[in-house]
Amino acid sequence: MTPAERPLSPHLQIYKPQLTSVLSIAHRGTGLALGVGAIFFVWWLSGAAWSDACFRAAQAFWGSWLGKLFLLGWTFSLFYHLLNGVRHLLWDIGFGFDLPTTYRTGWTVVAVSVLLTLFAFGGGLYAWGSP
Amino acid sequence: MNGATAIRHWRAQRVSAVALILLALWLVESLLAHLGADRAQIQTWLGQPVPAALAAALVAVAFFHLALGVRVVLEDYVHTPARLAAALAANRVACWALALIALAAVATLAFGL
Repeated sequence: MTPAERPLSPHLQIYKPQLTSVLSIAHRGTGLALGVGAIFFVWWLSGAAWSDACFRAAQAFWGSWLGKLFLLGWTFSLFYHLLNGVRHLLWDIGFGFDLPTTYRTGWTVVAVSVLLTLFAFGGGLYAWGSP
Repeated sequence: MNGATAIRHWRAQRVSAVALILLALWLVESLLAHLGADRAQIQTWLGQPVPAALAAALVAVAFFHLALGVRVVLEDYVHTPARLAAALAANRVACWALALIALAAVATLAFGL
């Protein structure tokens, strides 16, 4: 079955990027990234439950530079998706939907996500390096 | 999605989001506290009732929330009806399977099976 030829709303690449649209698509992107992270988490958890080899493989992956890069991405994704999710929940109850507040809360979410990521990831690296 | 399903989806997405605020922060704190832990230490940790219950709640709510979110993304970007139906079914099956595997793993650790 071929899809009907209906008018489409403008695609992302037609819009000039703005904070509002970039943060909106980032909410999706970080949500999907966390979904991939959840699969890795199940891998690690299954290893802890059932298999030494599987657990060691997962631990070795977190220890590798690629694993640490993924962890950095997931740490940021978690804080960003959480904070921006709270922003969405506030909109849902009618707070902060005017443009100046939307921009202010948007930049706040970005700044606090970066700070929490540096704090958690940096602290984690430090603690890992000196047990 | 019809109207009633859409409202249920909307509400479920938000209720699970609120639960995940606390569960996700608990996860970050717990993982930081167990950096470099060996398997025995993880077994000891999730062998305790409160961490095991929180871990079970986390994986159940997280995969529920993920299934709802991925559904919206698929509905937005997959335009062929047959492909959309297949993608939505795959999403449900994958999220259910991952949630059940994770819950079985938590149960194994919790009860020391």
